[in-house]
Formats: sequence, structure tokens, C-alpha cells
Amino acid sequence: MSINRKTVTKNAYRITKTRDKTCLRIRVPGGHLETRFFPLIQSIADDYGNGTVHLTTRQGFEVPDIDFDKMQDINAKIRPLIESLGLDMAIGENGYPAAGTRNISACIGNRVCPFANDDTTRVADNLEKAVYPHDFHFKIAVTGCPNDCIKAHMQDFGIICVTEPQYDPSRCITCEACSDNCRKKVTGALSVRDFNIERDHEKCIGCGECILKCPTGAWTRGDKKLYRMVIMGRTGKKNPRIAMPFLKWADEETITQVIQNTYRFVDNYIDRSLAKEHIGYIVDRMGFQVFKKEVLEGVVPNKEAQIAENITWGGYWYNQNLEFK
Amino acid sequence: MGFRLAENEKDRYLSELLQSYHVFAPVAKAGKGAFSDTDVVGYGEIESFGDIVLDRKSHFSPKEVFYPVRETLFQFLKDEVLETTIDEKPLVVLVRPCDLNGVRRLDTIFLKNGQEVDTYYERRRKKVKFLMVECTEGFDTCFCVSMGSNVATDYDGALRFEEGSLLLDIKDPALATEILRDRPEADFQVEYIRENKVKVDAPPLEAVTKDLFDHDLWTEYTSRCIACGRCNTSCITCSCFTMQDVQVNDEKNLGERRRVWASCHIDGYSDMAGGHNFRKKHGEKMRFKTMHKVNDYHRRFGEHMCVGCGRCDDVCPEYISFSKCINKLNQIAKEVAQ
Amino acid sequence: MTNPYLPKPYELVGIRKETAIDYTYTIDYQGPVTGGQFMEVSIPGVGEAPISISDFDGSTIDMTIRKVGRLTDKIFEMEPGDSLFLRGPYGNGFQLDNFKGRDLVVIAGGTGLAPVKKTIQHYMENLDQVKSLEVLLGFKSPSDILFTDDILRWEEKAKVILSVDNPVEGWDGHTGLVTTHVTKLDLSNVKEKTAIVVGPPIMMKFMTLELLKNGFLEENIWVSFERKMSCGIGKCGHCKIDETYVCLEGPVFNYTKAKNLLD
Repeated sequence: MSINRKTVTKNAYRITKTRDKTCLRIRVPGGHLETRFFPLIQSIADDYGNGTVHLTTRQGFEVPDIDFDKMQDINAKIRPLIESLGLDMAIGENGYPAAGTRNISACIGNRVCPFANDDTTRVADNLEKAVYPHDFHFKIAVTGCPNDCIKAHMQDFGIICVTEPQYDPSRCITCEACSDNCRKKVTGALSVRDFNIERDHEKCIGCGECILKCPTGAWTRGDKKLYRMVIMGRTGKKNPRIAMPFLKWADEETITQVIQNTYRFVDNYIDRSLAKEHIGYIVDRMGFQVFKKEVLEGVVPNKEAQIAENITWGGYWYNQNLEFK
Repeated sequence: MGFRLAENEKDRYLSELLQSYHVFAPVAKAGKGAFSDTDVVGYGEIESFGDIVLDRKSHFSPKEVFYPVRETLFQFLKDEVLETTIDEKPLVVLVRPCDLNGVRRLDTIFLKNGQEVDTYYERRRKKVKFLMVECTEGFDTCFCVSMGSNVATDYDGALRFEEGSLLLDIKDPALATEILRDRPEADFQVEYIRENKVKVDAPPLEAVTKDLFDHDLWTEYTSRCIACGRCNTSCITCSCFTMQDVQVNDEKNLGERRRVWASCHIDGYSDMAGGHNFRKKHGEKMRFKTMHKVNDYHRRFGEHMCVGCGRCDDVCPEYISFSKCINKLNQIAKEVAQ
Repeated sequence: MTNPYLPKPYELVGIRKETAIDYTYTIDYQGPVTGGQFMEVSIPGVGEAPISISDFDGSTIDMTIRKVGRLTDKIFEMEPGDSLFLRGPYGNGFQLDNFKGRDLVVIAGGTGLAPVKKTIQHYMENLDQVKSLEVLLGFKSPSDILFTDDILRWEEKAKVILSVDNPVEGWDGHTGLVTTHVTKLDLSNVKEKTAIVVGPPIMMKFMTLELLKNGFLEENIWVSFERKMSCGIGKCGHCKIDETYVCLEGPVFNYTKAKNLLD
């Protein structure tokens, strides 16, 4: 059997432990899919695979146990699904690119969740359109609020939807539900002074809990959709770590441009002698300030946006001597 | 007196009203719902009848238009008391019959309970005229018919929005503006909803005994209610308030006394200086409210306070149904009586 | 249209220390007052609170105030010559007709003595208006005793049982909860006796039960309720119990009514 392994894996098929079998990967940007595609996915699994699908952590489907020689048939079949997901930019008879920049996953967002500050699938879709397809290995996820159910903090780019709460003192009855809740559950950004609530903008993380707790509508949402962007979180075999905040109160255009510029940054600095140098390690190698300068080039952040002066990532190194007994 | 305005005349009538009145009605406040990308229906000033939202119940009642959430009573400049003034322009408020009946309850508390008249309520209330919007369908949580508040006749004017026209029944001549003059009278009898999906039987007053106060019914609410106060702040008849004094300038010589809505469900309502609190458990708070709405007020004033608008059911984050609570209470009253 | 919320400034003319945290403030005030009524007392920009009138003489009123919060902290900084803002008096107070010619026993716990002090004082000075008078007072400790000089004077005129819950060295008076001393009262004609009970909610509850146990009749017991009265005029709702507004129909209630008031 002869296949071009690189083309195959780039185009949504996996190398598996069974030499003549592959596994189809289906992206679902934003993790929300119309059920009309279920019969299609089912028929591929039944007709070409083993009648099962795996739900991936990045919210795609993997259809296992497919013969390599069926790839072209399957590519033709899944074309409508790929097109309707808006992933047809690079579609060809070999399938569509699924490696490199990974599926942009999203929590359920405000289509369902009361805590979500935005429609995360919409945000994911928009980002997908701005960056996909690309060979560089970027992991991006969108979460509706700082509860971070999608684990944005484990991504190269984690987008946390936030809102800047607006306080109307004329509707406030000083029940302190907002400030009590913020102190117990969030960052304690709200305090009571002379029966009014004062919000410490530096402490506020824009989760919107105060708005949800308010019984009179004294707290409402800001007009603008804003985001916190956390960057360079990762797992892997060297230095797993959580992402750190790079932008606060940034708008969609700003975060989109920063992600797009990061592709250029990677292209400029990636060590091509390595198999696949991951962005986080490039940033580590080049330093945060170089990264910051390059990704902000040409970006005019919205006036509310705040940018991290410096970032020190934590995590741990597997090769450190950790004491165990 | 009945009138009919054609579709293209409606807003002329409104614009004539607007010359003399602020006109408030339920409107959708875009993006102002608690959840993201949602609006909230609340009272706001309108410039066109097209602004009005009638296919959803307003989240907050119209009471805030003339009984503000927060109202400055006076300011103090050292020992001098400066009384506040209000906008002199009168108001027209569009309400449903249940809410109009609710306003009568507020009037009773503020104007008739005790010897004193609440002058702050009175000065705003005197400026309000009510245009009642015919309501024959209601919503899933309404129980106005059970509370006898589906019908209200003490309106200044009544409206029916029909396909292509607006019918008016004007009682207060001040609301008969230019466009209505010399217009032939139209036959318009306001119709009322006669049956709700939800039916409620409040226990007869004589059946509300100490046994009901001590009943286990309330312990269920101790575990369910989170004492957020939404039932109170959305209620058309909740009238309670608390005084607040603040210094409004840095020199500390200009002070302000205001009153703000109070909620019997929110902690602190019955706290006394020194710390004693009469109703700590949330079930006790639920009992206090329930009794006020369907028993105590009736004993004092001859009709139930609750008008069955059902907003408390709509807004409760714990899905506690007040109508269900009343029915449970009645059931228990029956059992206790046997 | 008179504004019932409008307070007026009155001059503070005297301050007397009762305990470390209770002071009596004498205010220049002319106007009809009944013992047991309360005033809405305020300092502009600081706060307003209901405070019972502990004494009055036609030209001044006394209010005995405990330092418990924002407003009272500020009052404690005041000096004679300063102004306190008042509106009132509110509530029914102790109607003397209810006690005239009776065997009267007045029972007070802690700061509960303040609202009933004037009524005790009145009968001490007019013993001919009652058949007999006994006073039973309870405080937490000797240092919590209010109106010490008045109590000394009362002891010369009538039977006064003064007890503290927590005695200290040197205290040779009665000790123990006030409820334990009911049997020290003259109970020979108990069905004819009238009692006034004022104190913290828990004390009033157990004291009335104790009185009933000892043969007092419900209709002969009077209590005074303390509630968070924000307006004093039946609007704000805070003092409502059942269909009763404590600020309007109370704070003094006959026990036949009070026993049915369920919070």
C-alpha cells in the first residue's frame, strides 16, 4: 500500500494503529451542528467504518475503521456537510484540511447557557473564517464566560466572552446580591459605598454575574461585545501550562487581527529544523515582547481594550526533578 | 365615549397626547435582558404606538413610573431641609386591567393606611392618567380572573388595538385630543379575559389560622427560595420601602434622604438595630409575603392585595410558582378544617 | 398638604450616661407625648431610626439610645447645643386608662425599660392612681442597668425587684433571668393584676408565658413591640405583623391581640 502520509493526515484522515485502516475527522466549528447531517455521518460510519463514531475533545467526530482506499468516495459524500459548515475554502477531491489549525471549539454559549456573554458558536465561526485553513498548529477555543467550560485556558488562544456591566444607581435597592455574590464567587470587584455599588474595573473580569443576580435591572450589559484573550496555554510532553491573559476588554476585530498576525509571527520565527515547533515554544524562545510587538502590528485596539505589559507563564516541566516517593 | 382611529391616525393621536403628557408603555429594551442578546420588556416612554410590546408580559410592573425604585425625599444643607420637586408634566401610562387594579392597592397603602397621606406618592400619582389596554388573552402564568382583577373600569381611557385601527373609550375629557373632536362616536365596549389557564383559590379568611402559619408547607420554600427579591420587585402591588441617608458632597454638609423599594424576601428587611431579625428562614419570608398578598391585606382593606398578574411566577429564578403556593395553602386550610 | 416625612431640628440640651453604650439625650421639645410612643430620629445624611421616648415633661423629651450602628454612632458624637432631627411622636403608647386603679406590675428587660420608664415614673409620683405597684427589672449585668438614680428613688416608694443575669463581685441584689422572679411578686390576687411587659422579643415571649402560668389573665397583660419602623406612618411595611401595623396600632398591645401576632 502506498499513500502520501502527509497529505492524508493534513486532509482529515488519521494514521491509526491498524496499518490499512484510517479514521475520518469531521470538524464542527463552534461545536454546534444541525441534526440533518447525522444521517450522513451515520451512513459513513455504517457503510465504510465500523458503525461507531468518537466525539473528540475539540468537538469533532472521528469515524474509525475506514479503508484507506475509500477516502475519495467519502470525500465526495461529505462535501455537502463541509460546505454547509463553511469549511469549503480548500476543499478538493482529497478532502479538506483538518490538521494544522484545529477545530475552533466553543462551549454551548448563549444559545442555551444563561451565564454566557455571547453566542460562542458565532464567534468561533467568525474566527474559523478568518484563520482556516492553515497548516500551522493553532488551538483556539471560545468560552461564553470566565467559568471557562471549554477550557480556553488550555489553548494557544482562549477567547473568553465578557461584558462590561453598566450600573444604573436609580434602579438600585442596595440588596447587595451583586456584591455578595462577586465577593463569594468571583473577584470581589464590587463594594457598597453610601448604598451605591462601586465596581473596581481592574478587579472586574466581566463575567456578568452581577447582572444575573440583580433583581431590579440596575445592572445591565454593556452595548459592546467584548472578550478576554488568554494565550499560550498547552498540554504536551514538555511544559504543560495554562494560558495567561494577553488582552482584556478587547473587541472581536482586535482579537481576530491578533490571531491572524500570530500566523505571520509563526511564519517569521518558526524553527523549521524541528518537526513541528509549537507557537507557545516559539513565543518562549523569542520572548513575549517580540511576540507582542509583532502581533499588535497594524492593530488599532478598541478604546476599552487593555494589553498585558508582560506575561510570565507557569506550569511545570516534565524533565524537572519532581519529588515522589 | 368611543372612538375609532385608523392605522394612519393612531400616532397623530399619540403625538397630540405627547404635547401635554409623557406617555409610558411596555417597551422592549434592546440588549437589557439579564441574559446576553436578550431584551427585557419594561416601562419606557413611547413616541409611537409601534413601540409598544403587548405580545409579552412586562417583566417589571408599571409601578416604577410613579413610584420610583429610588426617590430622593429631600436634601439637607447643614440644618436646612430642601424639599425636592418633580417634573410638572403629567403622565399617561398604558396598563392592563390587572395592573390598574394593582394601582388601587398601592393607592390604599400610600394614601389610606393610617392617618397620614404619603405626599411623595401622592404628588406623582396625581399626575398620572391611565390608558387601559384591553386584555382578553392573558399569558400562561396569569390568574387575574381568580383574583377578581381581570375587570377594571376606573380607567381614564381604554384602548383596543385592532387590525388596521385603534378603538378608544375616553372617560377623561383631557385625553380627548384634537383628532378625536367632531369625530363620530364609535361603539366600543371594553372586553375582559374571563378565564385564565391558571386558576387559584385563596383560602377564606376565617380558614387562615395559626395552624397554617406553623404548617410544613413553608419549610419547602426554605429550601427552594433564594431570597433574591425578584417576586417583590416585579410585583405591581409590593409597596414596601426603606429610607437611606447619604452625604452627597465631599464637604459633608449636603445630605440626602431617599427611599428605595424594599423586599420582604431580601435579608435585612426585618433587621432591627442591634441585630434582631424576625424572619430568618426563607420559608418564613415566603409565608409573610403570601399572607400579606392573600390574607392580611384583605382583612384590613376588604380585598386581596394580589391581583394575579403572575409576574412573580415569570421572574422567579427557582421556578417557585406563587399561584401554586396559594392553591397549596387553600388545600391545607381545607385539610386543617376537617 | 403637609409632608409627614419632613423632620424638624430640635436642640439637644442634655446628655446623661446610663451605661458604657447607653446614653440618655434630653431634647428641647414641646408637644403632646404619651409614654411608650416613639420618634423617628435622624441626623441628615446619616440616617433615621425609630427611638422610644423614655421621659418627657412638657418642655423636653428624653430618649435613651444604645450605640448599635451608623446613626447612633453619630449621635454619640453630639454635644448639647447640636440639633437632632425628629418627626413624631408615633404609635399608641401606654394609655393610662388601661392601668388606672389596678394592681399594676411593670416588668422590663434591658433597654425595654426605656419605653416604659415614663409610665413607671408617672405611677411612682401618683401612687393613688393605682391600687398597687410593683416593678420587676432585669439586666444582663450590673453595668447594664439603666436609670440607676430613678430606680433608687422608685425603691423608696414601691416594691422593686432588680435582677441581673450575670452578677459580678460586690453585687448583692437579685440574680438570674427576670422570669425566675415572677413568684416574688405579690400573686395573692393575681387574676386582678395587670402587667406590662417590655423587653427583647425572647424575654417578652417567655415572660408572658410565665405570667400566664402564674395565673395572670391574658387580657391583663400588655406588651410593647419593637420593630424596624422605617416610616412610622403605616407605609413602609417593615413593622407589619399579619394585618397589624405596629407603628399605627402599636407598639403597645394587649396580650389577647399580641398573642395572635405572628411574624
